[in-house]
Amino acid sequence: MIDMKRRSVLAGAAALTTASLAGPVRAQPAKPARIVVNASGGAQAAGLRKAFFEEFEKRFGIRVVDSSPPDLGKLKAMVTTGNVEWAITELAIEEAYRAEAEGLLEPIDHKIVDFSRFPANLRDRKHIFTRSVYSTVMGYRTDSWAAGKGPQSWADFWDVRKFPGPRTLQNKPLDNLEFALLADGVPLDRLYPLDVDRAFRKLDQIKRHVTVWWATGAQSAQLLIDKECVLGSAWNGRYFAAIGQGAPIHVEWNQAGIKESAFVIPKGTKDAYWAQQMFQVMTDARLQAVYANLATYPGLNLDSPQYVDPKVASHLPTHPDNINRQFWQDVQWWMANARSVEDRWAKWLIG
Amino acid sequence: MSAATRFTPGWAALGIAPLCVLLLFFVAPVFRFLLFSIADGTLAPFEKALTDGLHMLVFLRTLEIAAIVTVICLALGYPFAYWLATTTPGWRAVGFAFVLLPFWISVLVRTYAWMILLGRNGILNRNLVALGIVDAPLPLLHNTTGVVIGMVHVLLPYMIFPLYAVMRRMDPALLGAARGLGAPGWEVFRRVYLPLTLPGILSGATLVFVVSLGFFITPALLGGGRVLMIGVLIERQVRQFLDWGLAAALAVIVLAVALGIYAALRRLLKADLQWS
Repeated sequence: MIDMKRRSVLAGAAALTTASLAGPVRAQPAKPARIVVNASGGAQAAGLRKAFFEEFEKRFGIRVVDSSPPDLGKLKAMVTTGNVEWAITELAIEEAYRAEAEGLLEPIDHKIVDFSRFPANLRDRKHIFTRSVYSTVMGYRTDSWAAGKGPQSWADFWDVRKFPGPRTLQNKPLDNLEFALLADGVPLDRLYPLDVDRAFRKLDQIKRHVTVWWATGAQSAQLLIDKECVLGSAWNGRYFAAIGQGAPIHVEWNQAGIKESAFVIPKGTKDAYWAQQMFQVMTDARLQAVYANLATYPGLNLDSPQYVDPKVASHLPTHPDNINRQFWQDVQWWMANARSVEDRWAKWLIG
Repeated sequence: MSAATRFTPGWAALGIAPLCVLLLFFVAPVFRFLLFSIADGTLAPFEKALTDGLHMLVFLRTLEIAAIVTVICLALGYPFAYWLATTTPGWRAVGFAFVLLPFWISVLVRTYAWMILLGRNGILNRNLVALGIVDAPLPLLHNTTGVVIGMVHVLLPYMIFPLYAVMRRMDPALLGAARGLGAPGWEVFRRVYLPLTLPGILSGATLVFVVSLGFFITPALLGGGRVLMIGVLIERQVRQFLDWGLAAALAVIVLAVALGIYAALRRLLKADLQWS
């Protein structure tokens, strides 16, 4: 607690007179009128504004403009033409690694961004800031099966006799290959490297029962709301929002796929210094809790959970009851295999 | 300015500015992007596009869907354009409003509207089942049927406007003359009206077909994932895998086919005009 206090005092002071306190003297660059943060948009944009952008605007007097959606291709175009309009952009984690490999990212300034209260494996990241995590979870309509009495594993999801009804899964091999292997009996901690042939053989069994392969996050929840499907997968925040609006959906956390949501600074942005300051705002334990309360996508500051609304806590991927029943996406495996697997996925789907 | 008195060069000059803008901000960047396909000095991206078994399969399906959409647009658009061209000014205004209204609504919204109408629990299926017309909901969505319905809705105006333009310009006296010479209704249509509206048919069909090739959101949302069009694969290479060489090679192939179809239709049209 003492440590916490000292650090927050420091952070406050640093915000006022960054140049004088932050180690080696470094002149604070001139303030732009605005910086652009590019992320997923929609409800998430509102959450980012309330949790982080308002605080940033208050601390530095620089307006934050949000844009969307995350777009690796656009990032590359901006960086290679030297016309970078984003100070920060969100990317899917494997895309962030790809951008890092292609040299499209500005390094994180660890003098400004303090990761000391983050999990050890994230503290030394050079270019990629894990702003939050999210899970691909199973959900079903509670008028098909009472909450808790529906499918409780991917093996159940595959069991169309015991749990009949149209299903929906994402139109991507990511997660689905893992789900198929789990359904086929592979243990949670032995998934990687994925046995792709075995996964596709298992997917063959469920293919005609999946009436919709969803393309957007909004669609995944809407399909259950409209009763187009009774059982499916979605990002946990999508179901949470739908349930908040009264949709009869139950979320099953068992065997869900948890992964990082990455924020990065495009190489060559003139606002790099302010992007680093924004990252520092985003590491704040209390502000991460504000965001988690709205979107159910928690940040990874180890001090953050104590500030989360107890009513929301059990809906977070990182809640103790949830996290150990999930598998972490192996980004390295997906980096190495995504292209060939995605081509095979497309061929499999239309075949 | 003395140019004001010389009418023609002044108008030509007016056209130069937009042409320059188009060249600079549209044609040049597109051309620059297409060059990515040969950026490494080989034709490897084309080889992959043509031989990997996925991209050409999807391209053939794309051509097939575009053809179906074009035929349906023509079947629906032709009588509607005829009605627009021949009805009273009051009804014409109403008709145009119906054609134009969807243009003011985002494609995404229209696509979601189809989901509500055509879904398993959609308005149409609920009523069909309630009325006892069908026993189980019809599979109208999340398949090729859904994609074609959604695309026809978006593209129908592109068919109607060129048809309307030629139908309005047509001299009704020609039809009267044909009838006066003893031709029955069907013959008047087949030998006079249809040939005279052929330019409209060809330009409408070209527009619809070519725009269809690039369709993106509609197949992704109404196809349920099973209907894959070439635009989706190109986007994936651009945005997800940063393989701009392959993306550009695919774009070159689509562009070449589109230009080929356009050229073929132009020749057809010219031959037909000379012949008649």
